[in-house]
Amino acid sequence: MPTTLTIDPVTRIEGHLEIQVTVDTVGGQQQVTEARCAGTMFRGFEIVLAGRDPRDAALYTQRICGVCPVSHALAACLALEDAFGIVAPDNGRNLRNLVLGANYIQSHVLHFYHLSLPDFIDTTGLLDASPWTPRYVRPDLIGGAAAATLVQHYVSAFTARRKAHQMGAIFAGKLPCVGSFVAGGCTQQVSAENVAAFRTLLNELRAFIQNVYLPDANLLATAFPAYSQLGQGGGNLLTFGAFDLNAGGTSKLFARGRRVNGTPAATDPQQITEQVARSWYTPASGNRHPSVGLTEPDRDRPDGYSWLKAPRYGTTPYELGPLARMTVNGEYTRGISAMDRILARAQEAMKLANAMNGWLDELVPGAPVVQPGSVPQTTAGVGLTEAPRGGLGHWLSIEDGVISRYQVITPTNWNASPRDDAGVPGPIEAALVGVPLDDLSQPSEVLRVVHSFDPCLACAVHAVRPGRQVSR
Amino acid sequence: MRITRRDFLKAAAAAAVAGRLTPSALAALGRTLRGEGHPRVIWLQGAGCDGCAVSFLNSVHFATVDDLLVNTLDVEFQSNLMAAAGDLAVSAAQAAAAQPGYILIIEGAIPTGSAGRYCMAWSNTTMEAAVQTTAPNAAFILAVGSCAAYGGVTAGAPNPTQAQGVGQLLGADARLVNLPGCPCHPDWLVGTVTYLLTNNRVPPLDAHRRPLSYFGVRVHDRCYRRHQQCGQPTFATELGSDGCLEHLGCKGKKTYSDCPMRKWNSRGPGEYGVNWCVGSGGPCLGCVQPTFPDGMSPFFVYSARPEAKD
Repeated sequence: MPTTLTIDPVTRIEGHLEIQVTVDTVGGQQQVTEARCAGTMFRGFEIVLAGRDPRDAALYTQRICGVCPVSHALAACLALEDAFGIVAPDNGRNLRNLVLGANYIQSHVLHFYHLSLPDFIDTTGLLDASPWTPRYVRPDLIGGAAAATLVQHYVSAFTARRKAHQMGAIFAGKLPCVGSFVAGGCTQQVSAENVAAFRTLLNELRAFIQNVYLPDANLLATAFPAYSQLGQGGGNLLTFGAFDLNAGGTSKLFARGRRVNGTPAATDPQQITEQVARSWYTPASGNRHPSVGLTEPDRDRPDGYSWLKAPRYGTTPYELGPLARMTVNGEYTRGISAMDRILARAQEAMKLANAMNGWLDELVPGAPVVQPGSVPQTTAGVGLTEAPRGGLGHWLSIEDGVISRYQVITPTNWNASPRDDAGVPGPIEAALVGVPLDDLSQPSEVLRVVHSFDPCLACAVHAVRPGRQVSR
Repeated sequence: MRITRRDFLKAAAAAAVAGRLTPSALAALGRTLRGEGHPRVIWLQGAGCDGCAVSFLNSVHFATVDDLLVNTLDVEFQSNLMAAAGDLAVSAAQAAAAQPGYILIIEGAIPTGSAGRYCMAWSNTTMEAAVQTTAPNAAFILAVGSCAAYGGVTAGAPNPTQAQGVGQLLGADARLVNLPGCPCHPDWLVGTVTYLLTNNRVPPLDAHRRPLSYFGVRVHDRCYRRHQQCGQPTFATELGSDGCLEHLGCKGKKTYSDCPMRKWNSRGPGEYGVNWCVGSGGPCLGCVQPTFPDGMSPFFVYSARPEAKD
């Protein structure tokens, strides 16, 4: 007899997410047979952007998300530079890479220890007050001395992620929310002192990733072998690429690319559309490329169940994130599963921290940090980069010198998308099917799989009404 | 591995030596910390970005966030950190709200359009309803971040979801303290919580219900960039160069916060931050002002009426 379980709120994520699963007994095992993923908060951010000075886009859009503001600021800067016909100088590019890298490290450490790990360890006798109680008590939780060590690392990880933000703020002004990112570069000037201060913190964090984070991720994989099979999802991976290594961005630390059921494939961002058959938007909002995107909220749409649209490449759902970046770039070959997302994220943090050391060497004190530019009357631009949790795109149009259209597609848009026009579930919805769930009052198994995607919901819901002038 | 309360007291003692806490306040703090049970917090998140919660995680100047969470506060509902999810999380919130005397922290704006359905706190409960039901039993209400305080970017024109700040939603309320900022500085939050626990009343506030100790002085008046070269005012003419940023759009003349002194992302206990927006060459956005963002943008355009106090 199928039963339905609603988990709302899904906690230990960014934003407002509801998961609904249908549970039934298949082959003697009670498991998830169908899942629905719903974003339950809408702000209309891009409606707010219409009519504003284009140069403000990086400052507004980073406020879409408090966990990945740096990625939004960078995507907006890239879109504006595309529109203005300018390119950040080498210092500006390296400074932005270093701030973005710092935020990846804080985000990955936060995700592993504070958002994900509580699903796997028994904190009884170690953390016996709120917010760690009430809690789930599952038979497979890590206990004993290993749990005590992991809880100790959970606590020290607060310091590690704080230092990652402190490190980024040296060039960002502050974090979260960057003060220094502008179209044309980064306004923070380079000095021997700020480079040295950054390097000291980076060395500490490299040691933390190497000696604490990576071993803990491996320990989790050993303790929970089933999760290297569970939560596979659709099997298609997509990355836009990030961390430009030269002025035009033709060389990147993570190259753009796709995997279609394991096979590499070329990537053309023009193939992206958003579908809205099951989303709370008017039918006219569907099947559009983001450069001509339209989003008209309709909370009463019949059959709608999410504020997220369903982005598709061609007509196919794709998973985005560290696993996609690392797999497409040949750095990770272990597979696709809940545990592989956790392992790829940890390995990516290490790779990135090492690369950041090289970018620090490339900074030149006193050299220019910003390429000046001016706002054209009519133009358009695209900024594609990667947030910690996956590929991020900003599409911008300018008319009469102000923003006429702004569209954002975030990684969680893809990963947590609802069903599309053809009824095909999004990646998280697909990944939950087959996950065993013995005790409906303690859905840890579902949470482990959902958390492996590191969902970020505030990012994923946004809207723009094209051509609309804002009066104020 | 539990961190002792002594660590928190040590940080508070350092703060007292630096003149930020009076000895009597410190003694009261010690009594609070030795008392039965810990101060209770319910932290609700509405239409925002969780950036103020992330900023809170950066706390270290007055106390580290792990010390606050493990040893000092009982944070009975906080969606980013709590172990429970779904019904178990909701029951924790409801049980907490049934016992009066907690500090209610609200982050994010509260949409009132579409019957509040633009933001759900949890299953079948809008953020608006969650605030209305948790406010009555709160000892104090902290609107953390500009969205919760005044609507912030969520309520930027044309305010598509008719989002409101807490004060707008609840009306005049003596328990309310606004701690704006985009995000809120962790010291503004932790310092204010410490004040509430030691004094059992709201701190001295300005007309916008912001603590005067953090929001009492104009940014421009303490900004080193004004006199970067030999005491003479110099103005930056392009981004990425030295000098006062006023002509590049800086809103420091109509913004009241201690950012120039406190800075952001503190190095350690009792220490100030490593940098701040203006320090990194970016114009002040005026993000702590009630008119942010509409009254403060375009951000890179010189403001004709810089002296106006919003």
